[in-house]
Amino acid sequence: MKKKQFISTMAVLGLAMTMAAGCGSNSGNNEGTPAASNNKTDNAAATNTSGNAAATNAAASEEPAAPKIAGKVVFTTNRTDLVDTELKNYAAKFHEKYPDATVEIEAIKDYDQTTKIRMASNELADISLIPGTVKNSDLPNFYLPLDDLGLNDRIYFKDNRSQDGKLYGISSGSAAMGVTYNKKAFAQAGITAVPKTLDELYAAAEKLKAAGIIPLATNFKDKWPLYGWDQEAFIFAGDPSLHNTMATQDEPFAVDGPHWQAFSILKKMVDGGYVEKDLMSTNWEGSKKDVASGKIAMFLLGNWVVPQVVDNGAAAEDVGFFPLPLDNSGEAKVILASDYYYGVDKNSENPETAKAFLKFLIEESGYDDYAGFIPVLKDKKPKLAQLNEFMATNPKVIEMAAENDDYLAIANKMQFDTSAFAQDAIMGKDMKAVFDSYNKKWKDAKASVGK
Amino acid sequence: MFAMSYKVQRYVILFSFLTLPLLLLAVFSFYPALYLAWLSFTSWDGYSPAKAWVGFSNYKEIFTNADMFKVLSHNFVYFIGGIAQNILALFFAVLLNSRLRGRNTFRVLLFLPYILNSVAIAYMFTYVYDAQNGSLNALLTSIGLESWIKSWLGDAGIVNYSLAFISMWKFMGFNMVIYLGALQSIPGDLYEAAKIDGAGPHQSFFYITWPSMIKIVELSMLLTVSGALEVFDLPFVMTKGGPAGASQTFVTQTVETAFNFSNYGLASAMGMVLLFIVVLVIFVQRKLILRGEE
Repeated sequence: MKKKQFISTMAVLGLAMTMAAGCGSNSGNNEGTPAASNNKTDNAAATNTSGNAAATNAAASEEPAAPKIAGKVVFTTNRTDLVDTELKNYAAKFHEKYPDATVEIEAIKDYDQTTKIRMASNELADISLIPGTVKNSDLPNFYLPLDDLGLNDRIYFKDNRSQDGKLYGISSGSAAMGVTYNKKAFAQAGITAVPKTLDELYAAAEKLKAAGIIPLATNFKDKWPLYGWDQEAFIFAGDPSLHNTMATQDEPFAVDGPHWQAFSILKKMVDGGYVEKDLMSTNWEGSKKDVASGKIAMFLLGNWVVPQVVDNGAAAEDVGFFPLPLDNSGEAKVILASDYYYGVDKNSENPETAKAFLKFLIEESGYDDYAGFIPVLKDKKPKLAQLNEFMATNPKVIEMAAENDDYLAIANKMQFDTSAFAQDAIMGKDMKAVFDSYNKKWKDAKASVGK
Repeated sequence: MFAMSYKVQRYVILFSFLTLPLLLLAVFSFYPALYLAWLSFTSWDGYSPAKAWVGFSNYKEIFTNADMFKVLSHNFVYFIGGIAQNILALFFAVLLNSRLRGRNTFRVLLFLPYILNSVAIAYMFTYVYDAQNGSLNALLTSIGLESWIKSWLGDAGIVNYSLAFISMWKFMGFNMVIYLGALQSIPGDLYEAAKIDGAGPHQSFFYITWPSMIKIVELSMLLTVSGALEVFDLPFVMTKGGPAGASQTFVTQTVETAFNFSNYGLASAMGMVLLFIVVLVIFVQRKLILRGEE
């Protein structure tokens, strides 16, 4: 068995290496890969020598008759930018609370790809973020049920990562999709109020352009920052599970359908010259600096980008957030989407410690506030001022539902990438032709997976 | 140890020298290749323990889906760039093989791009090609060729040529060094004899230089063809296959299939198909270039 695992690991690595030979420079953060399996002896020693201390701690914690929280656990995250700063503090605080337990935090670039390779080779870290493309029906093979944490009734998005009535993943927080903007840039262009209707948005863009400011950063080249336009389609459809609805349709991309309407706004911004001059030379890291300095005025992204703009040099009070106007009715609508879900490895050496750290991350760490997320705990209010200001206007809120296995099967078969779809729609000469070809591909893929 | 016969000693040495490299080759090359072949018959998603056998359906999908092979036309641009690269390399090799002042400096200059890391080169050229602040467009402006200014990476019609040029720029020096080595291995008295018999420079090139180098040219062409089929790093780093898939190559598409769309089975089959294409091209090329020899 062990040998077989080893062999398949080598094979997967071999495949990954041959195909990704050029990615070498991307994996600089992957030191310490085998950490998860190397800790066994340390852990045993720690548990034996200080069993008493652990017992005292367990008694002091809220859970009655909680098991010993001890040993070393590894937490993998996609936040390469926070691993040596904020996340390190969480590990230190957790260690303070449970002196016998230590947490090692490892940040991974290209998070989903790397994590899936580790899943295949049984090398998943004790606590990790569940890659988005993992089907719910696969969750019991890799993760532990988390129902015993006592969080079930207190969290949002509970059903999104559940299978057979058990909870396998807890959201790390959610974000509202909307326009993050630089207030100084707006003032400089003579815009006094944030746009509430689509016409006002275009008018504002025109004023910004006239003032020599790039109105909207699309980050077209990096592709993924276009994901917001797909989420806006959810609002147009008024359907929190639009993707799952699509899985029941043969031709989901109709002219004047939700995606058409959303992409039309983007197309108008591009055609009007309200975006970066050269779409293929955009630069994501640079765009945050440009929005912070007022060279670019707006982003359409989750509200998580607000703290990142502030980190890049903007004063917090100069950064604002408003829902993208979708029509001229003036009604504010917003969609909330969950970020990554935390999961605990099924083969973890210290499952109780891993669960305790997961609980700590959610209840005590304050990561959600730091990252600008809306907390997953229902009784906790978001701290981000821009978000509260925005929620105070009582927009209509749609909570995005999880993608089901049918949708994922079709989307993977067809190689459907929502951001690439937006790119195609903008680059293509005829948007209708693009939508027709997507309809056809969708229909074929749906037929071939037999849904 | 000292009592061993010569024959035994020979075997001991042979085995001790060969075991390690063969073992490494088996573990990191042959085994993964065989495993890849096996995976190509499954519908594995890349992480779950179940690997369902699906027979030839992955191959069927590749050969029935026109989109899969459309990207090979992008690879073809790199192949054209590769031919230009070989011709240029041969030209510079012949030039720098003659008595020329400072020829070693020129050789080093032309070889330097090959030593650079390809990701670093990709970043460097991102700045060169940048449409607004790029040095290429700045150069065109300064010499009065504003009308030639283009979005070098943003125009679906030219993005592959822009990328192929980089690959040509990078590998030309390498080819040149190989050709130089071949040129220097041709004995000088052949040329002297030809000169005495009244052959001009063109005649000595086509009747002495070219036939002596044909093997090396064949090797370079082989590297060029397989290199063109396997282009990956430049589009991956510089354009992510964009704009809208215009610079996608066969390998970037394979990587996406495996990692973004959780379809390792299909991606493995694509890897196998690529392998067969390369073998086929090499076979055809040997037949064509080595006509009438051996």
